Amino acid sequence: MLIPRRVKHRKQHHPGRSGAAKGGTTIAFGDYGIQALEPAYVTNRQIESARIAMTRYMKRGGKVWINIYPDRPLTKKPAETRMGSGKGSPEWWIANVKPGRVMFEISGVSEEIAREALRLAMHKLPMKCRFVRREGGDF
Amino acid sequence: MSESKLVAEKRTQFGKGAARKIRRADKIPAVMYGHGTEPVHITLPGHETMMALKQANALLTIEIDGKEELALAKDIQRDAIKPVIEHVDLVVVKRGEKVTVDVPVHVEGEAAAETVVTVDSQVLQLEVEATNIPENVIVSVEGVEAGTQIHASQVELPRGAVLLTDPEVLVVNVTAQVTAEALEAELAEAEAEAGIEHEEPEAPAEGEAAPAEGEAAAEGEQA
Repeated sequence: MLIPRRVKHRKQHHPGRSGAAKGGTTIAFGDYGIQALEPAYVTNRQIESARIAMTRYMKRGGKVWINIYPDRPLTKKPAETRMGSGKGSPEWWIANVKPGRVMFEISGVSEEIAREALRLAMHKLPMKCRFVRREGGDF
Repeated sequence: MSESKLVAEKRTQFGKGAARKIRRADKIPAVMYGHGTEPVHITLPGHETMMALKQANALLTIEIDGKEELALAKDIQRDAIKPVIEHVDLVVVKRGEKVTVDVPVHVEGEAAAETVVTVDSQVLQLEVEATNIPENVIVSVEGVEAGTQIHASQVELPRGAVLLTDPEVLVVNVTAQVTAEALEAELAEAEAEAGIEHEEPEAPAEGEAAPAEGEAAAEGEQA
């Protein structure tokens, strides 16, 4: 699973969720991709789960790119704990995804297989997404 | 390459308010410059411009106040989510002039079995005549074996085109597919690390029939 090797601060503020993606809104490496339509925190487990789902469906034919990285820690206080006494302990690693961001890309498979593989992967993600494909050139 | 003709109007009002007004009227604010001329702020028709710009490096004929000029789209600002063009930068070109453009790479043919073809450079920078811009650069991978790397210098360029990209840049990489066992092992390891469990349907024991739908519903009603 994707986890930063080393971070400057173990506990951070919650990342802001407003606005749209400033970059990475088009397909850069592959032929097909998944684009986020809503803001969300995507955990490293969800990223890994989506990657496994699409790789399993594509079998050996394709290549997968992951364009997001879970570099922000989120903390959680233990259950039934009174408020105060400092910030909770790091619980998740998340990528702060804004609408428009292309999160996963694939290539080397037909559009039919790509659509189904990415549909399966979308079900592992916590926001509304859509299938996108490369503009111009080949398509 | 086909030429698209667009009738543009000169803009007199600027700023985000005026630009939003133009977009609400299904038009696109644009600016045209180049060849030492003063930038001209114009408004383009929305649908026609969007259709013309679907093609990479489309050559546009812009008609402003009855005067026609050739232009290439230098920069297109699109909405991150909606299929809307927000603004276009056009650069004036002359017939016969050489221009620098990014031409998409198109892979043709079927590589050898058990291989994965990856396009490492999606575009190649070429110097071509403005009125003769190729739609794409075709790279054939017909029957290519695993381990083959096609560099920019090995790509057959369209007639009259000069390669500006570094000739050593990798364009297409053909690698061997991972074996089924290796893929399965990698996925199993990843699933174990992520704590993903497969729900395997339990086969009913012999002589033990699954409960009928009616029975299940009746139980639900009692509860």
